[in-house]
Amino acid sequence: MKDIREDIAWAQINKDVLKSLENPRKLYWVILFVAIAMVGVAAGCEIYQYNTGLGVGNFDNPHVWGLYIASFIFWIGMSHSGTLLSAILHLMHADWRKPIYRFAEAMTTFSLMTAGLFVAVHLGRVWQVYFAIPYPNMRQVWPNFQSPLLWDAMAIFTYLSSSILFLYVGMIPDLAICRDNMNPGWRRKLYTALALGWEGTDRQWRNFRMTYLTIACFLIPLAVSVHSIVASDFAMSQQPGWHITSFPPYFVAGALYSGCAAIITLFVILRYVFKFEEYMTLPILKKIVRLTFAISMVWTYLNLVEYATVWYGHDMAAKHLLIEKATGTYAPFWWMMNFCGSVVPFIMFFKRFQTNIPVLFSVSLLLNLGMWLERWMIVAPTFADGYYPWTWDHDQWPSLVQWGIVFGSFGWFTMLFMIFCKIFPSVSMYEVKEMVYHRSQATKKLEATGKFAAAGKGAH
Amino acid sequence: MSISTLFENYSEFRHFHPVDDMPHNPYKWAMAIDLDACSGCNACSVACYAENNLPVVGREKFAHGQAMHWMRIERYWDEDGRDFPDQGARYLPMMCQQCEAAPCETVCPVGATNHTPDGVNSQIYNRCIGSRYCSANCPYKVRYFNWYDYPTTDNVWPAEMNMQLNPDVTVRGKGVMEKCTFCIQRFKVAENDAKTQGRLVRDGDVQTACQQACPTNAITFGNLVDPESRVHKQWQAQQVDLAKDAQVKDQEEGGNGLRGYRIYEQLRPYPSVMYMERVRESAI
Amino acid sequence: MSKRHLLALFTDFDAAEKVVTELRNLGIKGFNAEKDMIVKSPIEHPEVEEFLGDRPVRVQWFTLFGAVGMGALMFLLISAAQGNFFAQMKGGKPIVPFPPNFVLTYEMFILGGVYITVLGFLICAGLPARRSPLYSAKVSEDQIGILVQADESASGTLKSIFTKHQALEIQEEAGK
Repeated sequence: MKDIREDIAWAQINKDVLKSLENPRKLYWVILFVAIAMVGVAAGCEIYQYNTGLGVGNFDNPHVWGLYIASFIFWIGMSHSGTLLSAILHLMHADWRKPIYRFAEAMTTFSLMTAGLFVAVHLGRVWQVYFAIPYPNMRQVWPNFQSPLLWDAMAIFTYLSSSILFLYVGMIPDLAICRDNMNPGWRRKLYTALALGWEGTDRQWRNFRMTYLTIACFLIPLAVSVHSIVASDFAMSQQPGWHITSFPPYFVAGALYSGCAAIITLFVILRYVFKFEEYMTLPILKKIVRLTFAISMVWTYLNLVEYATVWYGHDMAAKHLLIEKATGTYAPFWWMMNFCGSVVPFIMFFKRFQTNIPVLFSVSLLLNLGMWLERWMIVAPTFADGYYPWTWDHDQWPSLVQWGIVFGSFGWFTMLFMIFCKIFPSVSMYEVKEMVYHRSQATKKLEATGKFAAAGKGAH
Repeated sequence: MSISTLFENYSEFRHFHPVDDMPHNPYKWAMAIDLDACSGCNACSVACYAENNLPVVGREKFAHGQAMHWMRIERYWDEDGRDFPDQGARYLPMMCQQCEAAPCETVCPVGATNHTPDGVNSQIYNRCIGSRYCSANCPYKVRYFNWYDYPTTDNVWPAEMNMQLNPDVTVRGKGVMEKCTFCIQRFKVAENDAKTQGRLVRDGDVQTACQQACPTNAITFGNLVDPESRVHKQWQAQQVDLAKDAQVKDQEEGGNGLRGYRIYEQLRPYPSVMYMERVRESAI
Repeated sequence: MSKRHLLALFTDFDAAEKVVTELRNLGIKGFNAEKDMIVKSPIEHPEVEEFLGDRPVRVQWFTLFGAVGMGALMFLLISAAQGNFFAQMKGGKPIVPFPPNFVLTYEMFILGGVYITVLGFLICAGLPARRSPLYSAKVSEDQIGILVQADESASGTLKSIFTKHQALEIQEEAGK
């Protein structure tokens, strides 16, 4: 089966995608309202915590970090999918990304915004978070540039703004289509303003292609460096279970893993809710599933490398911690993480399941559960079983306030994402046209030279 | 903001620490604690509460690990199957070790914790935004976070107890990290007084609250670079060198009969507190 | 002798290419094939560039100067900031440490590069653009548009060329 029907009329592409902006299935509204309700739960928890103090999260000495940091890293990780699809696959000329990269990029932007929320929730005095911004002031007090948390702030700011710019610039031709076809009203005004007068002239297209390529080339090292810097929050400290040199690549692999699993989840949802069956086809799903499987194996390898190096090394504190992770209070979660992250992906290995939508939807959710647990299992056990024996005398579990905020963050992300899909085209119309055009040209050429092979095998 | 400052002081700005070629001058505050003298009475801990306006969090929060004791007495037991397991605890008074290469200082995103020229680790409450990375990185877990707004909480300093609050020390609100400061409010006053009199602080001019309260004089506090100070003599007698991560005396074959050690020296934070091991019955 | 606009729409790139080649070769009076003709398309197409000829794209110069400049500037700024006023030791590391400064320089290099590239794109592509006097929504859908600006005397010739190559629609600017 081909990745996309090569005889789809371009006018049809316009029509289908524009229709999604005005007429999604009823499920869209259900999802949106559930998401808003979840945000309400989180908002309530945060207001309580803001007024009373972080103690309501059940933190103590030494368990000073908890689900907020774990979820922060989880959301930053999920943001890497967009970059993978838009930038890396673009450089590799994998055109099957074209129908799906727009929502993946949107996912990147909103994941980063959700991660930013967790910074606010985690800080003890969030109203002074501007201290972390290097602004000139009378006292010449600057943030501490040595701190990995500050590198985080700069890297995530760079990544968020670059992602938004990339998403926007890549959307300009689509916004022109929307401008040309929407009924007058707030939509027409919005698209006219955002399309910047784009008319598809040769000068505009030439510069556009060069710009897109250049930004894609920048985004790839940026994405890798952002999650490596987030990994440095742990790797640059001395604590057992954190001071591991393989953390930066391990985190980047986990991020790509998490992002790809989320792409599968959103692919299934969008395909149904917005009736994108022609564009988000099963062969494309199959490719993503295979890609996810490959990344899951990379992550599994790096995970095992971490265990192996601890097991064979003489760092007694790290070894003690590893044994505690497997047998101590957090053991059920640790084992679940390993199961979800390393065993569940094997379902994707079997061709039978690679296009089975209910199975893949559940698998993708389990994979992301595994990835979220992974982040939690990096944060919590090191506090529970760190260097200092005096701290080993009590267990700590996050309170309902923490769980409520984590729960609500998923609602926040979904809400932003769904609103985006209603206002901006979640499938890139001009790129799908290009895909259909180039593939039909290639097929014609093959037919002409008599080398036509049965069941066209995807990307040229 | 001048780039010229950068170039003028370049060699100084590139200097690592601690190294012997740039010793502290004129003060390096350090401590020595004799565990043989320590009886675990907790007087030091209570004195610290009184001196530094530490909030009393209540039994429930204490059991939960949210206590604010800058100076804490840790108790360790051997699990050797004895008849009365609670008997024979060994006590360790633990407070901020004022590390020379403190792991907490590098990781604060806003620079709320720094190393002062007189050798202590400073915590600037106004600057702290409560990211708690410093506590995450501390090997000793001696940093305490204000999980609640204690000044506005009931029963923290019940009526008349509020009369003993120390006016020289700020009261911290919620979301701020705090820790032992070697009673900075006391030794800064001593330094200033000495300066106006044209001299240096003499040993014994200033005592930390814990040192003052200790009934057995287990705690010694003073200026490590002052050759006449008791703390300097103790460090010297125990052959513990501030700027080393593994002491020469520990390499000797067959032991050295000296009791002085620093905790987690091998992690290279270069702590400023030396402990002297309890004399065990088996050693005599 | 005033210039008037004509917009012709074609169904695919081949037809458009033939029209452009003919317009170039014919040398019509009152019409300059280099300056007065704009090709508009719903998708980018390298073949358009081929038959229109090579026109330089300058965006990457912006990128180079922006990225390198921003990176160098940030390194100096960060180091200077560290050295000024509260130059206090942190963790025994030097006041101006290289690893953190390089990490931040790298990030700012990318930040500068991306921002300047977008700026360069807007400048080089001429966006936000004033809308053309003639435009058809079909250009963003599935047809190739050729917008020409010519003297009134040449419009007859141009229209005949368009019709010869099966133009789907010809729009003409109303007389002034």
